[in-house]
Amino acid sequence: MAKLPKASIQNRIRALRFEHGEMTQQALADQIGVTRQTVNAIEGNKYSPSLEVAFRIAKVFDRPLEEVFQYAAGEGG
Amino acid sequence: MGGMTKIFDMDPVSKILYIASKKPDNEEPSISTSFEEKSVWMQLASLGVVLIAYGAVAGSMLVAGVKHIVPYVPVFAVAVVLLIILMIVGNAIAAIAGRPEGLDERDRLIVWRAESNAGWVLSLGVFAALAGLIMSINNVWIAHVLLLSMFLSEMAKLVFHIIYYRQGM
Repeated sequence: MAKLPKASIQNRIRALRFEHGEMTQQALADQIGVTRQTVNAIEGNKYSPSLEVAFRIAKVFDRPLEEVFQYAAGEGG
Repeated sequence: MGGMTKIFDMDPVSKILYIASKKPDNEEPSISTSFEEKSVWMQLASLGVVLIAYGAVAGSMLVAGVKHIVPYVPVFAVAVVLLIILMIVGNAIAAIAGRPEGLDERDRLIVWRAESNAGWVLSLGVFAALAGLIMSINNVWIAHVLLLSMFLSEMAKLVFHIIYYRQGM
């Protein structure tokens, strides 16, 4: 199997929370069914959420998934 | 400045963990530690205390030349009871310091990865015990190699938990 370059998933959740009346991490966490620590980890790019949670986040902000999450391929990717 | 105001709002356990993990960069810190992470710290501390206590007693017995397994059984039983008490007290403290929120997908992934990584420690211990059997080493030593590998495997699992909670995955 070919080895893929290291990549990461970036997101705009912090900016989107700000745009949505400075929604708190806890409020977002409650709406998408995870803990506040998980929202914090996703925002800090320390955890890539499952597709289901990613779609739930996009739905909360009423944005398409690719406006919330961006795939940043590493060098050579 | 924002970080300074946040730290005053933290519960005591979160404050200690925050100060211990404070990074010098501009990264926004995690505002408070979850119940799950506090619980992991408490379990790790409990295991450490019991391992040291059992190691001190059993070690002195081994040095004194106790070569039968039976005298170690009551010491082990006391260690297990002590561990259960410490874990209950530790979890109660963690629950007081931070409300349990339940496990979500990230917690479950952390548990799975930590258990997967720590399994190697137990495997090494089992292989060491098997090697001891082949070399006809005294059963007391073999039992303690197995016991130590169980303790260390559990501690490694908890350390991986903390690493994944702090550093991410």
